[in-house]
Amino acid sequence: MNKLFQYVPGNSLIHRLNPVTKIALTVVICAAAFITDHLLFLVCLLAIDLLIGLIAGVAGRTWSIFRGLVKIAAFLFLLQVLLTRAGNPIFWIITDHGLLTAGKVVLRLIVVCMPLTLVLAVTRISDLTNAMVQVLHVPYPYAFTVSTAIRFIPQFLEEMSGIMEAQTARGVAFDQAKGFKKFSMILPLCAPLLISSVRRTDQMAVAAEARGFHLRTRASAYKQYGFSTGDLLTAVFCILLLAAAILL
Amino acid sequence: MIRFEDVSFAYPDQGSSIRDLSFELERGEFAAVIGANGAGKSTTVRLADGLLRPSSGRVLIDGEDTRNSQVSARARKVGFLFQNPDRQICKNTVREEILFGLRTVRSEEGESALQARAERILAEFSFTGDEEPFALSRGQRQRVALASIFAAEPEVLILDEPTTGLDYRECCHIMDQIRRMNEERQVTVMMVCHDMEVVLDYASKALVMAGGRLLAAGPVREVFRNRELMEKASVLPPQVISLGLRLGDGYETADTPEAMAEAVLAHRKKEGASDE
Ligand SMILES: Nc1ncnc2c1ncn2[C@@H]1O[C@H](COP(=O)(O)OP(=O)(O)OP(=O)(O)O)[C@@H](O)[C@H]1O
Ligand SMILES: [Mg+2]
Repeated sequence: MNKLFQYVPGNSLIHRLNPVTKIALTVVICAAAFITDHLLFLVCLLAIDLLIGLIAGVAGRTWSIFRGLVKIAAFLFLLQVLLTRAGNPIFWIITDHGLLTAGKVVLRLIVVCMPLTLVLAVTRISDLTNAMVQVLHVPYPYAFTVSTAIRFIPQFLEEMSGIMEAQTARGVAFDQAKGFKKFSMILPLCAPLLISSVRRTDQMAVAAEARGFHLRTRASAYKQYGFSTGDLLTAVFCILLLAAAILL
Repeated sequence: MIRFEDVSFAYPDQGSSIRDLSFELERGEFAAVIGANGAGKSTTVRLADGLLRPSSGRVLIDGEDTRNSQVSARARKVGFLFQNPDRQICKNTVREEILFGLRTVRSEEGESALQARAERILAEFSFTGDEEPFALSRGQRQRVALASIFAAEPEVLILDEPTTGLDYRECCHIMDQIRRMNEERQVTVMMVCHDMEVVLDYASKALVMAGGRLLAAGPVREVFRNRELMEKASVLPPQVISLGLRLGDGYETADTPEAMAEAVLAHRKKEGASDE
């Protein structure tokens, strides 16, 4: 769980792309998923997601993200199918329209979530920030906020599991509860979690200020983010994908 | 009370952290786990409470294999003080915090008995009970965490660096309370500690670790006087001990500044007598 958002070092075609290109590809895939209304096209997008993961050499990560998403999707699918009234009944209260809509909804969910997590697996967060500042002219404080939020996720999860461990040792039966019961036990622990987060944010702000955070500008990064043939090809691919989504 | 039998342990996707660890702590023993950073001390005490399960070998607490029971079910018997007290504290007042711990492990005693118990502990730790834990200093929060563990009256106390970051007075305060538990109620104590003066003052047994292995286990003074062992474990023995070893000539046995002073005085007197 903690590793879900961690960078996987590598030198694949995807790794070497300009971070901005990767963001663009992600955005285009998401946009295409929302524009299109064809089930088949969504399946194609899913195949593209998986293929990207494969090319980037992070097949294991891709698979575990996919598996996690499928679990959530299955639940949503069931809910959607059971609650949709429109269309022709096929079996019991299930309708053809319900099945189709549900299928599209969950596919969209998976298609959109995959590249968002994959981009973090193939790009260093610092590169992501720097490229956003340098190429897209995003003001540094904003880029920093986004990247810090992402960086906080694993720390947050680690803190959470640390707190749960400490509470288990005190006799709160986390290790015996399951499902909803466990969830209701977690709620009271939000206080320590919140406090540690606020404390950490505070410390980080002071540390950043002490290191001249406010002096930082676009010109501060020494690394240049150029565009290569791969980036060009990806851009062409993005345009084609978007066109296909709109026209089909 | 705590027994490790050929315990090995490895964190996921990492080489083994603990290898072939075997030792036993008797009931009422006060043991300190010492060693350099990354030696595996925290991992060892986590294994001792079953927060981690050994990859091979077994850990027995009071004859019971940690793999066969849940950590939370053991909370009444085993109190665990973490390095970071903030993970343990989750209520708005110190009284609530102590009651929360009591309600989870001693719910059968009835509310009024628990209230009385909480008041007793509050007095013992000189808290009024209405303090807000998160507004207290780190050392005081550490004492809040300790108080809520003490309240449950465990038979085993496992402490991961209980005194790190505390001032001298706070440190003595906490350690004295731990010692009282140990002496009056025969509580078994297993403590990770980087302060060798504290170890010398309070612990009776030392477990010396390095690189995930147990180098030696024995009486604290004996372990500290073993220069080779201390070198191997990258541990600096307490100054009194080093001084005694350096002086030799009967001074080695002095293990407190007072004893050292006595030895010096006695030596002087003897020299004075032989001069005349
Ligand atoms: N959660 C973890 N995941 C992976 N490896 C870990 C984890 N915790 C510790 N380790 C590794 O296990 C080894 C022993 O760590 P441990 O925390 O037990 O050391 P320690 O003796 O308590 O050190 P310190 O004095 O710094 O507290 C270290 O090499 C560390 O890298
Ligand atoms: Mg440690």
